[in-house]
Amino acid sequence: MTEIVRDQTVTAAEHKVATGPDLRVPFGLGLAALACVAPLFLGNYPLHAIIIALIFLLPAHGLNLLLGYTGLLSLAQAAFFGIGAYASALLAVHFGTPFYVNFLAAGLITGAIALPLGIPALRLRSTSFVMCTLGFVIIGQAIAKNWISLTRGDMGLAAVPRPYFALGPASFTVSGTVGFYYLVLVIAALATLAVYLIVRSPAGRNMIAIRENETLAESVGIPTWHYKLVVFMISAIFAGLGGSLYAHYLTVVSPLTFQMYYSTTMLIIVLGGGAGTISGVIFGSLLFVGLTEALRVAPELRMIAYGFFLLALVFYFPNGFAPLIGRFWSFLERRK
Amino acid sequence: MFYTIIEQVVNGIVSGSVYAIVAVGMTMIFGVLRAINFAHGEYYMLGTFGAWFAIEYFDLPYPVAIVIGVVATAVIAVVVGNIVMQRIVGAPAEAGVLATLGVALILQNTVILVFGGSYKFFSGGYIEPVTLFGFTLAEQRILIIIVGLIVFIGLELMVTYSRIGKAMRAVSQNIECCAVVGIDVRHVALWTFILGAGLAALSGVLTAPVNVSVYGGMGELITFKTLPIIIMGGLGNVRGTFVAAMILGIAESLVATYVGLQFRDTVGFATLMLVLMWRPHGLFSAQARF
Repeated sequence: MTEIVRDQTVTAAEHKVATGPDLRVPFGLGLAALACVAPLFLGNYPLHAIIIALIFLLPAHGLNLLLGYTGLLSLAQAAFFGIGAYASALLAVHFGTPFYVNFLAAGLITGAIALPLGIPALRLRSTSFVMCTLGFVIIGQAIAKNWISLTRGDMGLAAVPRPYFALGPASFTVSGTVGFYYLVLVIAALATLAVYLIVRSPAGRNMIAIRENETLAESVGIPTWHYKLVVFMISAIFAGLGGSLYAHYLTVVSPLTFQMYYSTTMLIIVLGGGAGTISGVIFGSLLFVGLTEALRVAPELRMIAYGFFLLALVFYFPNGFAPLIGRFWSFLERRK
Repeated sequence: MFYTIIEQVVNGIVSGSVYAIVAVGMTMIFGVLRAINFAHGEYYMLGTFGAWFAIEYFDLPYPVAIVIGVVATAVIAVVVGNIVMQRIVGAPAEAGVLATLGVALILQNTVILVFGGSYKFFSGGYIEPVTLFGFTLAEQRILIIIVGLIVFIGLELMVTYSRIGKAMRAVSQNIECCAVVGIDVRHVALWTFILGAGLAALSGVLTAPVNVSVYGGMGELITFKTLPIIIMGGLGNVRGTFVAAMILGIAESLVATYVGLQFRDTVGFATLMLVLMWRPHGLFSAQARF
């Protein structure tokens, strides 16, 4: 059972919501408004970075539900990200189906694959579970490499079409960066809303109970096994949807989509932002992409800096960077 | 047909020995630190690079290169151990995963940055073939099997009789009690880590003449092969790890011959999942220790 110490400052901030008006709602709305007009003053390159951040937000939300709320450390996000990407790309390339069909199918297929994988995996205890989920990534990559008749092996699937929508006779293709930005923004906002609704529902409370003490949760009548399985599936669906967006954005899918790198990335986003908070994960994904883009000078230097960033995260910010935001809020509150 | 099977089994034992020498270090580190060391393969790579550097730039003979590779890695392990690994003692699981992943990225990319990412030719070792009981084997492969056995026996003796070995076992059983009776847990953790890294380096230097090529990213593959072994062997279980390493080595070599070379690197995790479905706590542990 992995334990995540719930951050005290965040709880305090939640308390403030109940006691009086705070600045978070206007600030959040302001940020949303800013996101809507961002293409007006941002160039194509920063916009591209934000698109990647928003795509990564989906698997990260999934991992947050699993790790931050239910307390299960999983490295399988890359596997489901890859399955979603391949499912979407194969549908688009072979059947020419419109984007929303590919997108939803990617989610469904990933969920359907995650269910039989989750049943044996979730029976394992902490370290074995981590290894098993890592195994999904390794085996997924091997299948993508070797099932050549379906996936074209190492060559990958090229020329995945840009998202195109067809409604009766009318059809519309999202081709430019700005168009894609708005598409991803809407999907990311919907995903965030979905996570918010899950977390605020009684189910969310039960998930937190499982994270804090599984035996106790079981004893008060929470069907822990079903909860863990369903959350595992939901997290996989989120990853699959993210993979679908990634495939349509980059227009290429290769076995490299099944890479430990993506699992690590999701882990950094969730733990870096602050596991068990929604705003933390959004912050984490923007921070992560900002960091990787800033370190674009040399790929090796970038990876080295990435490594040092991980160490700093573990040893100096064990609760992620979200507590810093929390402290920022309390600072503003005191100033009022 | 029969001859091929035997030949492949012998090859499997050779790669099993290679994995075993890496994996015992990793499993001992897990026993003491309760952390999966995702950087373990990088010490294998560092050892190989140390030896390659000694041979390529100073023209030293292979036995000296072995020593240089292992010592250089141990020195790096002292630094990493002091800065990173000692702090993991008692930290939550995610901390161990993230910190060791960070170390892996730093070590791997520093080596690529310094020496370049291309494949390098490793010219050293005993590659003359010898014929033994009708089988032809490179001398280096025999050396690997012998060293594997020595390491196994040496570790068994060490954890049974030496003071530090007993302390390692004690820490892996109950960390709080060790602190109570006056065992310096951080000291034991550091030495276990250095020992494990040194063994990984030794394995790397021994394998280099067989693999011939050396490159910065080679550690990652070894990490991914070792992880299933230590889980199958039962985390912290040295004997179990040796058996699991042999099983995986032989299975890989048979799969490479009869199923297809491209599936070789997947055998580990595929076997692991099948084993875990059947015995969730590893092959040799009656119940979960961790």
